[in-house]
Amino acid sequence: MDAHAHGGHSGPDGHGGYHEEQHIHPDPTTFLRKYVFSMDHKVIAKQFIWLGLAFLFIGGTMAMMIRWQLAYPGEPFPVIGKWVFAGSNGIVSPSAYTSLFTMHGTIMIFFAITPIMIGGFGNFCIPLMIGARDMIFPLLNMLSFWMQMISSGVLIASFFVPMGAAAAGWTSYATLSTNIGTPGWGQTMWAISIFLAGISTIMGAVNYITTVIRLRAPGMGYFQMPLTVWGLWLTAILNALFVPVLGAAGILLIFDRTFGTHFFMTGTMIKGGGDPLLFQHLFWIFGHPEVYILILPAWGVVSDLLAFFSRKPAYAYKVTALSMVAICVLSAVVYGHHMYVTTMSPLLGEGFMVLTMIISVPAMVLFLNWMKTVWKGSMRLTSPMLFSLGVVFVFGVGGLTGLYLADIPQDLYLHDTYFVVGHFHMTMAAAVFLGSFASIYFWFPKMFGRQFSEGLAKLHFWLSFIPINIIFCSMLVIGNAGMQRRLYNPNDYEMFKHMHPLNRWISMWAFTLFFGQIPFIYNFFKSVFAGKQAEMNPWQVGTLEWSIPSPPPHHNFDEIPHVIHGPHEYNNPAVTTKDWLGQAEEIPGTGGGAAVSKPAN
Amino acid sequence: MTALNDIVPFRAPRRRSDTNSFVGMLIFLGTWAMMFGALFFAYAEVRLKNAEWPPSGEAPLPIALPLLNTIVLMLASVALGFALKAVRTAHPGGLRLGLFGALVFGSLFLALQMVVWRSIYLGGLKPSTDIYGSVFYGLTCFHALHVLVGLGGIISLLPGALSGKFNVQRHASVRHWVMYWHFVDVVWVLMFVTVYVL
Repeated sequence: MDAHAHGGHSGPDGHGGYHEEQHIHPDPTTFLRKYVFSMDHKVIAKQFIWLGLAFLFIGGTMAMMIRWQLAYPGEPFPVIGKWVFAGSNGIVSPSAYTSLFTMHGTIMIFFAITPIMIGGFGNFCIPLMIGARDMIFPLLNMLSFWMQMISSGVLIASFFVPMGAAAAGWTSYATLSTNIGTPGWGQTMWAISIFLAGISTIMGAVNYITTVIRLRAPGMGYFQMPLTVWGLWLTAILNALFVPVLGAAGILLIFDRTFGTHFFMTGTMIKGGGDPLLFQHLFWIFGHPEVYILILPAWGVVSDLLAFFSRKPAYAYKVTALSMVAICVLSAVVYGHHMYVTTMSPLLGEGFMVLTMIISVPAMVLFLNWMKTVWKGSMRLTSPMLFSLGVVFVFGVGGLTGLYLADIPQDLYLHDTYFVVGHFHMTMAAAVFLGSFASIYFWFPKMFGRQFSEGLAKLHFWLSFIPINIIFCSMLVIGNAGMQRRLYNPNDYEMFKHMHPLNRWISMWAFTLFFGQIPFIYNFFKSVFAGKQAEMNPWQVGTLEWSIPSPPPHHNFDEIPHVIHGPHEYNNPAVTTKDWLGQAEEIPGTGGGAAVSKPAN
Repeated sequence: MTALNDIVPFRAPRRRSDTNSFVGMLIFLGTWAMMFGALFFAYAEVRLKNAEWPPSGEAPLPIALPLLNTIVLMLASVALGFALKAVRTAHPGGLRLGLFGALVFGSLFLALQMVVWRSIYLGGLKPSTDIYGSVFYGLTCFHALHVLVGLGGIISLLPGALSGKFNVQRHASVRHWVMYWHFVDVVWVLMFVTVYVL
């Protein structure tokens, strides 16, 4: 009965239905309703981004402590060390080091990338880009943010309990994560925090998926959606499917730690025990899709931005969208490649190896489409474009190193070395880091209604791009030389001693990267509060969010737009006055342009 | 209206916003199915690891009372199905009866579940005894929490049902809680088969 809603082109009665359903609510007036317990997707997006940036800073500081210990083992951490490591004269102690790398990973994945890319830009972009007035369930959206806040609170509190924060690695493998490996409250609070963060993510995912299915503006079929929305939507689907599996693992871990069950414990003392490997299975059933959850929003954004700033339609738009779908499907059936060294049946391992390798086919299609999009385009090297090109580069390197790890014989050697660390930082950290900043710079004018300093943004790009490549490429090198990950002091081992200079070199560049963020911090705060008023469409792009004022009014669209073009309508020969065309804009000078042009792509 | 409905079953076209929340509910239940799916995966994994089941040679779980309990929970679902049908065909009395019935059966389920837990606990099987106890208590307690939430949902519907807020056109929240109950019921049947019978 709702057939008209599904991307059908026009029909007056379809249009009417949208207005009947998406009322214009009056703007909230009280401070609490407007900025704290807001149900406006744009405000919630900003809340998520502030939260994510704060945690990015905390997680980044932890990375600096890890790198300090590897570069200068046994020396007190400068400036803040005497407060943070008060019990050990400012020196990073072994137990603090274990907590540091555990919490660095946890914070970066669940409390920095997830809030910024999924909570922040998912919330901001989806309704604006599909022409909706808000998310479909605004209350659920607000609850999702506050659930994330509670979860963050639990995580932060876990630093201050006796015996300290979680220390079983971000993967929290049993039996390390059971009471035997990590007694005390820290690890339990970690599990609770992750469970709550998962609930928050699920709330968001249900909201995003339903919003995209039900609230696309008339005329916007799935293949008229910007690729950003494709990326965010597929992310939401993967989240909805696989975060619950992590939730289940978290519940069983909490049961084991507090009620004395034996899901993850076995041994001679317990007759009929559970299975420590069970945790790894559950974790990686979630964990492998998770890496795509983290990168898909960035892929979507980059696919769009490359087209926007090359002033060309995205090459093979549908193929790009469908390759992302293919990668999502494949990502669900390859988790075993994280467990090659867990006495897995070789036949099963080979199956996982082949499936993993197959992912490189759609990934390569995606990559080549990016190349073809920028090829012979009239590139505008703005800061978002620089960051997008940066993503293309680091993701290329990161993706290629994935092939080594997918291959069983190689993986047996490289397992648990810095090669793995370099690989997943190249794909998950560097690519998502640069992708996040591409998004922040691109949507900044729309989000805050202010213009940032382009010069500082470009400086920030080079201060990020160069160090990030040197750091993680050097990690690939040092890992290939055999250096193991998670070692407190590699110099204690005769075979790793000669790698100390290279470790120190990586640390130097890590510090450069850390301090290279100062231009961003300065630029961000200054522009948010005192930037120049932004225009409606400073980048001259055609997606729907740029057809309304910056920042958009509370209800986004006065009139729900009627989409007649695809998202990348550049250099359309029928348009003579400019090189772009809005998605809901009729071809200038033709009057009845809307009637003849079909949704393209 | 009632008489006409008896002759020609008529369902008014759904409002768009009802379909929206229906789609959202379906997606949410799919998500939650993955969580229970993961718990069943855990069950399968530990079953495969232990050649003997129950592993420490203790007495297997009773079947008679849990079977009765399964029927009780299914009756709650049936009562809710009845309630939904009643509100769709403009029988407010049927809606009230169905909701009260589900409340009674749902509470009875939890009460009987308490009896089962108590007798087994006193019989010596504790969560920490071995994996058999872990699976039994872990899975059934987690499910019972969902039944508790469902009871809360039914209670939240009662004021509306008593004051006649729900009618043929507007009963989306009834529909959602019925969907939720059916889901919890299906999960229980699977749990009964895996945890108790197999």
